[in-house]
Amino acid sequence: MRDASPTQPGSGLARRGFLKSSFVLAGLGLAACTPADAVLDTRVRLRQWNLFSGGDGNRMIQMHEDFQAQHPDLDFRATTFEWGAPFYTKVAMAAAGGRAADVATVHLSRLASLAPGRLLDPVDEGLLAEAGIDASVFLPNVWEQCFHDGQLYAIPLDTHTHIQYFNPEICAEAGLLDGDGRLTEVNGLEEFLDMCREIAQVTGDMAVSLDTTYSWPIFWAMFRQQDGELSFTDDDFHLDDEAAYTAFEALYRLSEEGLAPRFADGQGATSNFDNLQAGLLLQGNWEIASFEATGTPYSATQMPNFFGNRRTRGDAHCFVLPHQENRDRDRTRAALTYAAWMVRNSLSWGEGGGHIPAYQPVVRSEEYQPLEPHVHYAEAAANTEFEPEAWFSGSASQLQSEAAAALNGIHAGTATPKDALHQFRRSLRSLVTTPAPV
Amino acid sequence: MATSAEAPTPPQAHPATPASPQPPGTPGPRPRRRRPSWAGLWFVLPFVACYALFLLWPSLTMFVDSFTNRSLAGGETSWVGLDNWATVLTDPAMWQSLWITLLFTLISVPPLVILGLALALLTDHARRAGWFLRLSFFAPFVLPVAVMTEIWGFMYQPGFGIINQYLGALGLPQPEWLGSENTVLIAIVIATVWWTVGFNFVLYLAALQGIPRETYDAASIDGSGAWQRIWHVTLPQLRRTTVLVIVLQMIASLRIFDQAYLLGGHFGGPNFASRTIIHYVYETGFVNFQIGMASAMAWVFFVIIGLISVFQFRLLTRNED
Amino acid sequence: MPEHRTPHQHSTTRGRSPHRIPGRPFGRVTTGSLVLYLVAISAAVFWLAPLLWALSTATKPEGETNAIPARWIPTDPTLEHVAQVLGRGEVLRWILNSVVVSSLVTLLTLVLCCLAAYGFSRCVFPGRAWVFALVIGGILIPPQAVIVPQFILMTQLNMVDTYWGIALPQVVTPIFVFILKRFFDGIPRDYEDAARMDGAGHLRVLFSVILPLSRPILAAVGIFVFIGAWNNFLWPFVVVQDPDLMTIPVGLGTVASDYGLQYAPSMAAAVIGALPLLIVFLLFQRQIVTGIAGAGIKG
Repeated sequence: MRDASPTQPGSGLARRGFLKSSFVLAGLGLAACTPADAVLDTRVRLRQWNLFSGGDGNRMIQMHEDFQAQHPDLDFRATTFEWGAPFYTKVAMAAAGGRAADVATVHLSRLASLAPGRLLDPVDEGLLAEAGIDASVFLPNVWEQCFHDGQLYAIPLDTHTHIQYFNPEICAEAGLLDGDGRLTEVNGLEEFLDMCREIAQVTGDMAVSLDTTYSWPIFWAMFRQQDGELSFTDDDFHLDDEAAYTAFEALYRLSEEGLAPRFADGQGATSNFDNLQAGLLLQGNWEIASFEATGTPYSATQMPNFFGNRRTRGDAHCFVLPHQENRDRDRTRAALTYAAWMVRNSLSWGEGGGHIPAYQPVVRSEEYQPLEPHVHYAEAAANTEFEPEAWFSGSASQLQSEAAAALNGIHAGTATPKDALHQFRRSLRSLVTTPAPV
Repeated sequence: MATSAEAPTPPQAHPATPASPQPPGTPGPRPRRRRPSWAGLWFVLPFVACYALFLLWPSLTMFVDSFTNRSLAGGETSWVGLDNWATVLTDPAMWQSLWITLLFTLISVPPLVILGLALALLTDHARRAGWFLRLSFFAPFVLPVAVMTEIWGFMYQPGFGIINQYLGALGLPQPEWLGSENTVLIAIVIATVWWTVGFNFVLYLAALQGIPRETYDAASIDGSGAWQRIWHVTLPQLRRTTVLVIVLQMIASLRIFDQAYLLGGHFGGPNFASRTIIHYVYETGFVNFQIGMASAMAWVFFVIIGLISVFQFRLLTRNED
Repeated sequence: MPEHRTPHQHSTTRGRSPHRIPGRPFGRVTTGSLVLYLVAISAAVFWLAPLLWALSTATKPEGETNAIPARWIPTDPTLEHVAQVLGRGEVLRWILNSVVVSSLVTLLTLVLCCLAAYGFSRCVFPGRAWVFALVIGGILIPPQAVIVPQFILMTQLNMVDTYWGIALPQVVTPIFVFILKRFFDGIPRDYEDAARMDGAGHLRVLFSVILPLSRPILAAVGIFVFIGAWNNFLWPFVVVQDPDLMTIPVGLGTVASDYGLQYAPSMAAAVIGALPLLIVFLLFQRQIVTGIAGAGIKG
């Protein structure tokens, strides 16, 4: 405390301290330009973003390890974001900021909502052909969806659908397996509920697990199984009220009777199945990978026949190039090399991730045909129903989050099917009257 | 002035004496030494420049943007007059998220203040366990929010979550916590109290330990018991601190976003029951790209917070007299 | 009003005297104090329970994490999840980013706010009152309300996904100018008069007179700002999309790892993410608590 007096030598010390901190500051200033470790690496930098946080994420990581091993000249790193809006928001904001990742996986249904040309950069078909991919390896209808204003913006990877998993041990105990170990087919909602009641007897808990925070795919399957129609015009919409009400009511009964959870997120839905609290699980085909990992006994089949057929909800994944302010040709080339490699090697993606590859040579290959349990839901691809096109529609869209809000109450028991329908209609009204921001 | 006499230098002994900015015995500012010059401007310029660029300018552009249809996705921006304001002010979801923000504040402030005080009183009396108590109650405050929400999200899981397991064991009802629109806000409040009560605890503890011993000595002569001492001696001494804690806590609670977003979910909780106003602004501007709309919405929040702050500021300054 | 002072911590260091429980001999165990300590210790353990549960879960085999009934002591403790998280390296990178950003924010805040506070406290210049009022008015602006235009500004300044972009808007905290100015106002002028007679200019007065006398408040503000910047979520969350540049709360909150569906590694990541500041807190408990109380009370 002697340096309290300005004439004491301590004052010089304080100044030296300040000088020292100025140097630290200057050093930080240098460091602040680039991430610390990027300075020394001379390889071509390649950053990939994806939203595969489910079971398929593990398979993607294995594929990435193979890819990196075969491409030592690339400094490759992939990042998985929380599925849905958080991921899409990051992609859009990064593209707006001009320093986005080199390549990202998105849902094909979201292409239009990502403002191709502004937030997405077009794919050079010539460069892509150099990497070994062109129109001839995809189904024409899928390839066409990758274009916007006559320019290519996406490279398709797969189609995926919601399917029905079952625990063979629990279902056998409930007497629901046929001679081949396949789940007894039900015909209509009442039969499905009966089946659930028998399973609940065995588990002593619930019967069918599902993600109550995102039960839209199941709602949509039920809605479309009844030929329900949802369509949009410029400032209006048409919704089949009866079909929607019936679907809301079916989900309401499942949770109300304790056959389905009142609340479970994606993680929780799978945990219920792992924990043998449920004998069935309605979830996307990507969970195959996580059951392979945990060793939970499982098999799979198509979405149950609730209303006369086995339609289900699905979408497709594709690769896009988020907008970069200073696009570097080497990095773009690396990004397309990567996308082409993933597409060509999508046998592994189909096998381990459960997805149906978009790359036709794989689908037609002999290795793909006998995969278990894929063969049991192969028909699901033909039964896949997409949402109508709109800027607010598609996977993880506003449409889905608004619907999810209505569905939460259905599962939690805080809203009746009538409330949910009312709320859903109100949300649709507000969506169609909002000016499109893209 | 016993404390200041012991202290090495007068100002250091009073790091927290706003009530008496000039310690007795020291001369006040001497205006005669001050000649107007531009030198001072250079001192304030770096801060003021940053302040103008990063806080004032955005506030202004936000106002301008609120009359446009600016989109995060770029493209043509044009004037839309009062459209955004009309939409925002008649949007029930906006009012709902404002109400949720207010509700969160109303539910979270009382336990945060009262528990902060209770824990501080406990720690002040159980002196020999002081360091351990201080550690336990304050440690959660230094956790990054994502760590806190990860832990609580795990504990709140229905079924196998530890909270419901214990509630079940005690024969109590097992709420869905984050899964139901009726409980999600309560769940966030509980987690928030655990996480941040340490701050109020520390403020109270500092206040308690600053109460001069004479006050207690006088009270003990009367032979009053511990509870009476707390009620009649301690609490009245803490009035100023309490006003401060409440004001700070309200400011913090009204600005809630982090834990509600991470615990309730990016979609705003079941049926948007945990979507706060900042979350809605974030969602409108960044998730749905509607920068113009989000700007109008943020201004509504801005004005409301501003009014509350002015009110609180007056409360604080009046309290200081 | 009696001799009431606003609380200050310095008295606590030497205030460890038995006067707290008047009329009661130090060390005698009574039923009352036994109950008191029992309640206090239970409350503390209860308060630590979530942290202990996270620690316990992090060291369990994944299959045990959702066991019913819950087990506090893992049957077969393992460090594999910790190794898994460390092996991926991203948590360590985020910690490094947090160190860089928080240091940058703390240093810049201290430098800018000290300069400004000195200017307002010790210099007279035209328009001072107006500029000061403008700065003080900024206390009322909630930074959370302006994230949208701030992000747009960052896209225009080309600062999205940069350390500067994270740090600079966090530096603008008018409240600290106010706190520091008030403290500087309280420093007697005698000290600097001597320096001025030696011909010292403003800068020398600031660095050799004012700042050395202000160490406690500088430490308080510094600690407050550092912890605040370390744990700040919203702004870094908005301005950083690149995982390589994320700070620890943002990284943990937005990046879903390949173990996203597994609780044990998630808890391991959470524990590792919490560790740096927890360790600092354990080492400097008294200083940090004093600093928070100091800055909080002044603020």
